[in-house]
Amino acid sequence: MAGALRLAALRLPQIALTLLLLSLAAWFAIGLMPGDPVSLALVSDPRLTAEDAARLRALHGLDQPLLTRYLAWGAGVLRGEFGYSRLFAQPVGAVLWPALRATLALVGAAVALAALLGVALGGLAARRPRAAPLVQAAALLGQAVPSFWLGILLVILFAVTLGWLPAGGLPEPGQSALPFLVLPVATIAFGHMAAYARHAATALRAELARPHITAARARGNGEGRILWRHALPNAAVPLLTLLALDAGALVSGALVTETLFARPGMGKLLYDAVMGNDYNLALLALLLVALVTMLATLAADLAQAWIDPRIGEGR
Amino acid sequence: MTRLRLGLLLLGLLALAALAAPWLGAALGRDAFTPDLFARYAPPGGDFPLGADELGRDLLLRLAYGARVSLGVGLAAALAASLLGTGIGLLAAWRGGWVDAVLMRLADGLLALPALPILVLLAAMDPAKLGLPRGEALTDILRIVAILVLFGWVGVARLARAAALSLLAQDYIRAARALGVSEARLLWRHVLPGLRAPVAVACALSVAGAILAESVLSFLGLGIQPPAPSWGNMLANAQEAVFAAPLAAVWPGLAILAAVAGCALVADGVARERDR
Amino acid sequence: MARVVLAGLFGLLPALALAQGNGAGNGAGNSPAGGTRESLTIGITQYPSTFHPNIESMAAKSYILGFARRPMTAYDADWKLTCLACERLPSLENGDAVPETTPEGKAGLRLTYRLREGERWADGTPVSAEDLRFAWEAGRAFETGFGPAEFYRSAYELIVVDPRTVTLRLDKVTYDFASLGDFQPLPARIERPRWEADRRAYRSRTAYDTETTNPALWNGPYRISAVQPGSGVTLERNPHWAGPAPAFARIGIRAVENTAALEAQLLAGQVDMIAGELGLPLEQATALQKRSGERFRFAFTPGLTYEHIDLRLDNPILADRRLRQALLLAADRAQIVARLYDGQQAVAASGIHPRDAMFDPDIPQYPFDPARAAALLEQAGWRMAPDGIRRDASGQKLSLEFMSTAGNRAREQVQQILAGMWKAVGIEARIRNEPPRVFFSETLSKRRFGGLALFAWISSPESVPRSTFHSDEIPREARNFSGQNYTGYSNPEVDRLLEAIPLELDPAKRRPLWSALQRQIAEDLPVLPLWHRSDAHIWPRWLEGVRPTGHLNYSSLWVAEWRAR
Repeated sequence: MAGALRLAALRLPQIALTLLLLSLAAWFAIGLMPGDPVSLALVSDPRLTAEDAARLRALHGLDQPLLTRYLAWGAGVLRGEFGYSRLFAQPVGAVLWPALRATLALVGAAVALAALLGVALGGLAARRPRAAPLVQAAALLGQAVPSFWLGILLVILFAVTLGWLPAGGLPEPGQSALPFLVLPVATIAFGHMAAYARHAATALRAELARPHITAARARGNGEGRILWRHALPNAAVPLLTLLALDAGALVSGALVTETLFARPGMGKLLYDAVMGNDYNLALLALLLVALVTMLATLAADLAQAWIDPRIGEGR
Repeated sequence: MTRLRLGLLLLGLLALAALAAPWLGAALGRDAFTPDLFARYAPPGGDFPLGADELGRDLLLRLAYGARVSLGVGLAAALAASLLGTGIGLLAAWRGGWVDAVLMRLADGLLALPALPILVLLAAMDPAKLGLPRGEALTDILRIVAILVLFGWVGVARLARAAALSLLAQDYIRAARALGVSEARLLWRHVLPGLRAPVAVACALSVAGAILAESVLSFLGLGIQPPAPSWGNMLANAQEAVFAAPLAAVWPGLAILAAVAGCALVADGVARERDR
Repeated sequence: MARVVLAGLFGLLPALALAQGNGAGNGAGNSPAGGTRESLTIGITQYPSTFHPNIESMAAKSYILGFARRPMTAYDADWKLTCLACERLPSLENGDAVPETTPEGKAGLRLTYRLREGERWADGTPVSAEDLRFAWEAGRAFETGFGPAEFYRSAYELIVVDPRTVTLRLDKVTYDFASLGDFQPLPARIERPRWEADRRAYRSRTAYDTETTNPALWNGPYRISAVQPGSGVTLERNPHWAGPAPAFARIGIRAVENTAALEAQLLAGQVDMIAGELGLPLEQATALQKRSGERFRFAFTPGLTYEHIDLRLDNPILADRRLRQALLLAADRAQIVARLYDGQQAVAASGIHPRDAMFDPDIPQYPFDPARAAALLEQAGWRMAPDGIRRDASGQKLSLEFMSTAGNRAREQVQQILAGMWKAVGIEARIRNEPPRVFFSETLSKRRFGGLALFAWISSPESVPRSTFHSDEIPREARNFSGQNYTGYSNPEVDRLLEAIPLELDPAKRRPLWSALQRQIAEDLPVLPLWHRSDAHIWPRWLEGVRPTGHLNYSSLWVAEWRAR
């Protein structure tokens, strides 16, 4: 336990430093991207004159050096002012939270479903060797199908041809949200499921061969009970690591699925914010994603250090 | 063993098709780039074994040429990412301390870095300034490989680091150190061979990942530019007309599926060999 | 194992085979069969980033605000300027437009507009001259951050005559003086306090974005009653609308960026119609029309979106007029239109649309003629080499860079077809595309393209192409890269015509100037005309009365004429 505390104490300042550097890198990456919004407006509107260009640049602060603008932004953030989104003309928070909620519902449901189905399939493969090839084939397929392709196929089949489910979009007020979630959740879950099934099968098979399982068998426990009560808890560590990796996706969203199903979420928001030079929005969203990813990794490492003290930080 | 063979067979067949593309074109008597407005979405059979695409070009031929790009991108990105990742992972595990912390936080940071602006940056760079030919598929391929490597080494590095850490903690390594074996020799002779299997697995999987990533980039309009075909841009181009001519989307989809499945089988096969 | 995988793969095929037949789905359709239809759901491909009428111009915003806002003047479906919120257009004849001299001694105009009786915001407040005064003041203030300020610089004084009447004084006289464009009433009661509190921050504090559903912001037949950010808006009837009551109690607008997904939503019955202004690419729409039979009504309206290729005139190869003409003669545009777009849009002769009143049909045309193209190339000294690409006397290849926006499939297709056609006469076109933001804001506007650039211009009826052809409008550093003369075209005669046309108030005298301009540009060919894009409108059979305009004043402005059968 003390080791875990030491690890966290070591890691948290590192995470803070990484976030700081990351914000700088992201700011410059966006700033150095060719084409600022004013030049873009100049192309799309012939009525804009040279004076208008100068006026709009000054108004958006684009005539200041990148670093000056970064420092001003950083000072604002430290004061708790996240500023306005240039793209959506709203406070950053007002844009971010609804998108985050939508993404949590979509990706959260998908990852949960993927983990449950994956572990169930893995268990099946571990218990019934005859079913293993089938499970592996399913996992393989999940891994190999490009998600936008799968999404289109699902829409054609279930929305257009059969008419069972909506093809995308959000429910009208008063409509149930569930039917609108089915296809996008299935699209994401199918791709994520493969890794869980694969790892669960491997870990459970290894676990089932260990002496304490044999002992449990000898005590007359049923096979199902042995698998779920005795083998799974010990096989859970690699699965938790996998789950930690997916935590980033919970926040960064699923750009392709969101585009295909016309569901606004973090993936689309991040893409638009970065492409639209919306610094305030893009930075906050990116830092949020980075923070969650790194905290999840830390959590997974803590779990690992707790179970196997040899593999910790340093030697 | 069968898994490894099956995977290699699948990939070998695809590679063969890629290599044979020019002969295939000669046999069919057409090239993969010249549009034919009278043969748009021609059905399979007859002149076009698998049908024609939205500009009346032979799909089979374009799949074969696309294999060169897609497999090329996949292999180049995976190999480069694996080399870089193994090196960094090994370094982190071996040096430990602040080197380890810096490298691993760099990896964390990269996972969260915006890939898109960097893609746009690279897309906007004038390749002529780097001495590369303008408007060539090769430039596109290099750009995409660079991006995939930049973000792809992280996974391999984490894996290599974990494996190297557990190897370095083994008793025989300590013994070797006590016997005065040089650190370089130690890493080269005792640690690196132990990393081969996990890295091979990761590498095979990242070939698959790179092929899929290329298709997603094409979906976003940031992939391989026309007229060069890749499975990704063929699929992305076909999705707009997916209702009118679904077959144009099915073939490249199946090709991606086959390649990714082949890689996954190889990875599985290698993993089993190791466990045996 | 292998068998299992393959079975899995081919399991996906039946789904597609089914879809190949008519999408028979009627799925989650929300329109009751028969009886009166209370709601209409419209699919578009973009979601607006702001709802303020004057901040950023964006097609999705214009389309949605068409339902909920009432501008003073607009061009109608016949491309004639009409009054929407005003009583009559000022003209010299009716005395509402009076020539005068500005205090600085320039030729100026005094224009009087009277708001139509009964114009009200959706909370019941009358639209008044004060609302116009606020819009004018905000537009003139540097720090408000409205887009183009040309109108506000020119309109140097606004006089409130009575609560419904204003007089504007302009410091210039142009033939389209009666059009107020984007200048339209803003609800001063709501917006003025916000603007006065902090002018700089107004663009992010405006009620249009912070309280979008406030009825006091809307004076159109509808008001925005609900917003789902990024996904759609819901419109309800404006209870205080003075005109004829619109047919639908509710109009839903759904933004679906991916056009395959939008088509799926249409086929699944989730959207009733797809607005042509922001709809499916023409190629996709014609394919849908062939498959869907009688299920929908299609209208392909010619519009003012002009697809063309800018030629970099300071490229030594392209500086030769014969070469530019050869490029156009070797491109079989009619064939592309027939095969790719099912003949649903017309090949363009120049940037002036054939429906435009000032169009001259007698200008030089360049129908497909590869033999003449080859002859011109020979004349210019380009000889065929064994590899099929021409060389000049010094051995230089006839090879040009061909750029466009990456990810735009329609343009990528056209590029590849044109490259194939040019190759047939010995011209190599190397395709190099860039993401739109890079292409437009760096490569085009800083004139960094090497040869050919394919993109579109959008204009309004009888708009003078000054920014694209006047030699003053060649973008350069000193002008902050404003102007759109990316080709670098410079012709004193064209400059003179471009300056003279706006000042000529008599249409009969304007016409010969327009003809001379079109003729000169068609001879010089700084730009290769391709076609005027058609908008593909897809309506349910029961919807009637939608009149597509084909220009920037969208059909939604006349929603009160839409009817359900």
